[in-house]
Amino acid sequence: MGMDKNGILRETVREIYEYISENLYFNRPDLEIKGERFNAGLLMGLLTGLSQGKELIIGEPGLGKTTSAEYVCSLLYQFPLGTIWGSEVSGHPEQTEEKIIGRPDLGRLNQGEEVVVWSHFTLLPVKIVDEINRLPETKQSMILDGVDRGNWAYLNDAIINREYCLFATANYEDRGTNTIIAPLIDRFDVMVESKHPSANLAYLIGMKDSNGAALRHEALESEFQLVLTERMPYSARMEQIEGLCARFGQDLEKAAGIRTLSSADRETIRTQKGRIPLDLDSNAFLRLVLSELSFCYRLGQKRSHETCHEGCHFTEYYCNRVRNCISNRFPTSARVFSQALAWLLGDETVDVEHLKAVLPFVLAHRVQWKEDALAQREKEPRSDPLQIYMAKEAVKEMHRRYMEQGPQVKKALAVACRIMEGEAMEPVRGDHPLYWEIRRDLGEEVVE
Amino acid sequence: MNPFLDFRSVPCEQKEIPLDRIVRAKDKVMDHIVEGYLRLVEEEAKDLVWLVEHSRVVKAYNSAVETIRDIPFDQDDIEEFCAEMDASDKIPYMISGPAGIYVSALVNHAQEDHIVLKLKDYRRTFHFFGYRLPEGKTLILEGNSGDFIGAGLAGGRLVVKGSTGNWCGAGMTRGEILVIGYTGQNTGEWMRGGEIHVDGRIRGLGKRFFGGRIYQQGRLVAPDEPSRSI
Amino acid sequence: MSDLDRILRELWPEVRKRHLFPELPAPTCAEGEQRVGLDMKKKRISISREFVEEMSRQLKPAEVLEGLLDHALSHYLYCPWDFSTHLKLYGEAKRVLKDKEMARTATDYFMDVVADTYCISQKDTPLPKIYKNLNRSNLDKAVHALCQRIWGLDLGVAGFEEISRKLSRIPYMDRSRWKENIRRFSKAVRTLLETEKERDPNSSDRKGPIDSHEFHQYSVQEIEQGLKELAAETATPSEFKEIVEDFEKELSEATGPAGRGMGLGAGQSVDADILYYMKLAENYLLAIRKRPVQKSGALYPHRHVPWEVGRPFRDIDPWTSFGKIMPGITQSWERLEGDVFGREEGIPDCIAIIDSSGSMTDPKRHLSHAVLGAACACDAYLRNDARVAVYNFSDAYSGGQQILPYSRNRKDIYRTLCHYFGGGTQLLVENIQGLQTERVPDIFLITDMQITNLEALIQYFNESKNRITAVHIGDNKRVQTFRRSMAVRKNVSIYPVDKKEDILRIVLGKIWEYIYSGRS
Repeated sequence: MGMDKNGILRETVREIYEYISENLYFNRPDLEIKGERFNAGLLMGLLTGLSQGKELIIGEPGLGKTTSAEYVCSLLYQFPLGTIWGSEVSGHPEQTEEKIIGRPDLGRLNQGEEVVVWSHFTLLPVKIVDEINRLPETKQSMILDGVDRGNWAYLNDAIINREYCLFATANYEDRGTNTIIAPLIDRFDVMVESKHPSANLAYLIGMKDSNGAALRHEALESEFQLVLTERMPYSARMEQIEGLCARFGQDLEKAAGIRTLSSADRETIRTQKGRIPLDLDSNAFLRLVLSELSFCYRLGQKRSHETCHEGCHFTEYYCNRVRNCISNRFPTSARVFSQALAWLLGDETVDVEHLKAVLPFVLAHRVQWKEDALAQREKEPRSDPLQIYMAKEAVKEMHRRYMEQGPQVKKALAVACRIMEGEAMEPVRGDHPLYWEIRRDLGEEVVE
Repeated sequence: MNPFLDFRSVPCEQKEIPLDRIVRAKDKVMDHIVEGYLRLVEEEAKDLVWLVEHSRVVKAYNSAVETIRDIPFDQDDIEEFCAEMDASDKIPYMISGPAGIYVSALVNHAQEDHIVLKLKDYRRTFHFFGYRLPEGKTLILEGNSGDFIGAGLAGGRLVVKGSTGNWCGAGMTRGEILVIGYTGQNTGEWMRGGEIHVDGRIRGLGKRFFGGRIYQQGRLVAPDEPSRSI
Repeated sequence: MSDLDRILRELWPEVRKRHLFPELPAPTCAEGEQRVGLDMKKKRISISREFVEEMSRQLKPAEVLEGLLDHALSHYLYCPWDFSTHLKLYGEAKRVLKDKEMARTATDYFMDVVADTYCISQKDTPLPKIYKNLNRSNLDKAVHALCQRIWGLDLGVAGFEEISRKLSRIPYMDRSRWKENIRRFSKAVRTLLETEKERDPNSSDRKGPIDSHEFHQYSVQEIEQGLKELAAETATPSEFKEIVEDFEKELSEATGPAGRGMGLGAGQSVDADILYYMKLAENYLLAIRKRPVQKSGALYPHRHVPWEVGRPFRDIDPWTSFGKIMPGITQSWERLEGDVFGREEGIPDCIAIIDSSGSMTDPKRHLSHAVLGAACACDAYLRNDARVAVYNFSDAYSGGQQILPYSRNRKDIYRTLCHYFGGGTQLLVENIQGLQTERVPDIFLITDMQITNLEALIQYFNESKNRITAVHIGDNKRVQTFRRSMAVRKNVSIYPVDKKEDILRIVLGKIWEYIYSGRS
C-alpha cells in the first residue's frame, strides 16, 4: 500500500475513465480542473463509485443516463453488464418491496418457514435505479434508507452490504412523474446531467454498434446468475461473487486491455483518499459556503417555511436567495467527493480548486431557490439545467468573495481558536455571515 | 469542543502596510475632532438653534479652543473635517455658525502657518471662517463662503478666491482680507483696523466703522464714503 | 514556443494558486503596445511582449511577468471587481471633475492604486519593481509617490510631497467607502489632470502605465448586470444617461452583436432613457410560469400497505401476497388520484395604456414609477411568450398619442412607454378597441385619472370583457366617478396609490394573480 500501489490504482481509474469516454460514453469535456478537462457526468460517476456515494443523474430520455452508470459500475466493480442489468430496479408506481428487496421463498413458506430470497439489487454492491422519480415516495425512501446504511431487512432477516454505491436516474418533469421530495433528494451526494453529446458525437454513436459488448460475458453472467439465486448465507455468496468478479476482471484485461478494480483495491483507495486532508483555504472556504447557506441573523438559521425580513442587511449573500437551510449531508458529500477528486489527480491535499469543482454538483439538488433568484437567472445563456447552473454561479460568486476575503476569514477563525482556548482577544468583525457565526459560536449574542 | 482547532497555526496578526497606520491614526484624530464639534453644538446650540450674538460667538470660540487643545491635528484634518461636515453622513447636525467657529479654532491653532481650504465643490455654505485669524497665519478659501468671513481678524491674512456673504471682516482689528469675488451687506461693520480688498462688487458697507480701510478694485471706499452700496 | 511563453506557462499555476484559483483562462503573450503591459479581453490576460522585453533590461522576465499577473488578478479579484463598480466609480469621479476624459483617467488610476495596494498587502509580489522601472508621466509619478508612502517601499520617485500626503489619507481598502474615496482622490489630482490635459489636449487615449482598463475585459453578461445595477442605484434617468452615453462607443465594442438587444452596436446610437427603464425593470423580474399540474381524475395504484383483518378484500394484491390471506403477508393496494401536467393555457396578450400628460412625471428627467410599472408588466408578459401592445396618450385629439401594435420587440415597447407628450389628457377609445383581439387581452391602465373624456373610457370599460387593472395616482372627483361606475364590474380592479413607488408593487401583484396564481 505504498506510493507505487497508489500510483497504479490511480492509473487504473484513469484508464477506466479514458476507456469509457473513448469507447462507450461519448460526450464533451465540460469541466476543467488543474489544466485537465473531464466530462462532469462521467467524472462524478467514477467518484461516486469510488466513494460509496449516491448519484442522481438527470437528463432527457435516451442520453445515456443509465448506460453511463452501468459502464462505470461494470469496470469499477468487475461485474459484466448482463449481471448489472438483471439487478436494476426500474421506476414505476407498481414496484413493490418484493421486487426491490426480496421475497419469501414460496416453497419454504408453504412449509411454514420464513426464508427470504434476496433480490439481486440488494445483494450486489452496485445499485442502479432507473427513473427513480416514477417510484412512489415510500419506495424511494426505502431504497435510500437501505443504501444509506447498507442494511436491508425483510421479514425477519437482514443483510448488510460491505460496500455499495447507488446511481439513480430521473427524467425531467413530464406526465406521470412524481417529484423527489426534499428530504429524499438531500440524501443524494451529487446530481449531474447526462447531456446531449452534440451532433457530431451523436452521429458517431449512431454509426457505431454498441461497444458495451466488450463488457458482456455470457458464461460468467450465467455463473453470476446461479450464485445469486442459490440459497446460501450472504457471506459465502459474496465470496463466490468476488471470485467471479476477479475472473471477469482478468478476462476483460485480456480481451480489451483494460484493468479493473478488485474489492481490495477499492478498499485501499477509500483508505488513501480518506487520509487526504483539506488545506486551510478549502477548510475556510467550505465554512464560508456553509454559513451563506444556513445563516439568518434575525431567525437564527434559514428555515424553508420562514421568509426573509424586508430590509435585511445581508441581501448580497446567498442566505437571501435561498429558502431552505443546507443539510449536514452537504459538507460530508463535499469532503468525500473532493478527497476522491484530489486522490484521482494525485494531489496531497484538497485545495480550493478541488472543492470548487465538486461543490456545484453537491449543491445543485440541495438548494431551494427563491422565485426572484430563479427569475433573475433562468433566461441567462447556459449549458446546464437551471439547478446546476445556479449552483455553479453560486459557487463562483462565493469563491470570488473568498478570494477577496480569504486571509481575513482565516484570521477570524484563528482568533476564534485562541479565544476558545482562553486567550483574551476580540473576535474579528466583518460583514460576511461567517464572522457572525463565529461570534455566535463564541457565545456572543449577536444582534445587529 | 473547539471547532476552530484547524486554524491554530494561522497567525493572528496580518501584514500591515503604512496605509493601515496612516488611516488608523487619521481616523482617530478625526473621531476626536468630530466629537469635539458635537460637544460644542450640544453645549452652545440648545435645540439646534444658535443665534449670532457677540457674546455667544466669543463663548463658542473659547469652548472650541478648549476642546481641540489636545488633539494632534494638521491642515489635512481640517480640510477633511470640512468635507465630513459637507457630506454629513458622520455628523448628524451641521449648524453653520458653530461649525465655522470650530474650524476657525482649528485653523488658528494648527501647526501650519499657510492653510488652504477648498470649498468649491461643497454643497453647504460655511460662516465665520477666518474668525480671529492671528498674525503670521494665512488662510486661503477656494470657493464661495458665507457670512462673517474674517470676523474679528487679529493680524492674519485671509484670501477668499470666491465671494463672501454679509458681515465680511466684521469687528476685525488687524490683518488683511482679500476677496476676489464680491462681498455682501455690512462689509467691515465694527471694523477697527486692518484692510479689506475686494476685486468685485461690495453690496453694502457697514454703518459703524471705527478704523481700518476698505478698498474696492484698488480704490479706497472706506472710511471716506461710508454707508454706500457700490 | 518562445522563452516568454514557457516562463508564463510555468508561472501561471503558481500565481493562480497564490490568488486562490481565480476562474480565468491561462494568459498569453501577444504583440501589443510597448506602453501598456497587459490587456484583458473577455477575461483572458494578454501580456505585451514588447513591454516585457523592455522591462527585462532592468528586471528578470519572470519577475515582470509575475508582477503583471499579480496586477491583473488584483483588478479581477478586488477592484473594480465587476462592471457595475467600474461604472459607479466613474460616475463619482465625473461628478467631481465634470470632464469625461479626466474622470476616466482618475478612475483608472484609482483602481490601480486600490488593486495594487490590495496585492501588496496580501502577497509577496515583484510589482513594485515594475513601477520603479517604468517610464512615467507627472501624474504617474504623483501616484507612485503616493504608493511609496502607503506601501513603505521605494519606487524611485522624489517630490510630490503634498499631494502624496493628502492622497495617503484615503482608506483605499475600505470597499464601502470607495465612492467617497474616489471623490477625494479626484479632487486631489484634479490639478495634475488639468495640467496633463493642457499639455496634450488631443490625447483621448490616456492609458495607465500598465494596463488599459477597457470594457472588453467584461463579458456581455457582466455588462448587462452592471447596467442593471447602475440603473437601480442612480437616482434619475439623466444620471444613468450621462454615464452610459460617455461610454457608448466602448459598450458597443465590448458587447458586439449581443449588444443590439440593449440598443448598442454599430449604426445605432444608444437611447439611454430606454436602456435605463429596460435595465431597471430587470431588477423586478417575475419567474416564468411553470406548467400547471392537475389531478388526472382517475385512481392509480400507488403503494402497498399491509392488509389487516377486517379490511376489505377488494384491493388485495394476490401476487405480492403470494396467494396467502394472512396478516403480515397479505398486501393490498392503496390508490391515489394521479397528478398530471395539465394543458398549458396560453397567457393572454397585454395592452399597456399609459398616461403621459403634463401632470405625469417626465420619464427622461426623473424616475417615472408609472413607466417603470408599465415596463415591468410588459416584461412579465413578454417573458411568458405573450405579446404586448402600448397605447401612450396625452391629448389624443391633437395628435398627442402613440400606438404600438402587438409586438415582442422590447426596445419598441419601451420606446413607446418612455415617450412623453406633456400635454392635455384625452384618449381615443377607438384606438383601444383597435387593439382588441379574439383572444381577449389583459389591460393595464396607469394614469392620474385627470382624463377629460373619462366618461368615454368608463363606457368602454363597462362594455369590455378584458381583465382590467387601473392604477391611479391620488384621489379626486374623477377618480370617485370612475370607481362608482366600475363598482359592479368584476373584471375591473382599481388601485389608488399615494406614493408613486407603490405602482410597481401593485402591478407586480396583479400580474402574479393573473398569470401565476392557482398554478403549482
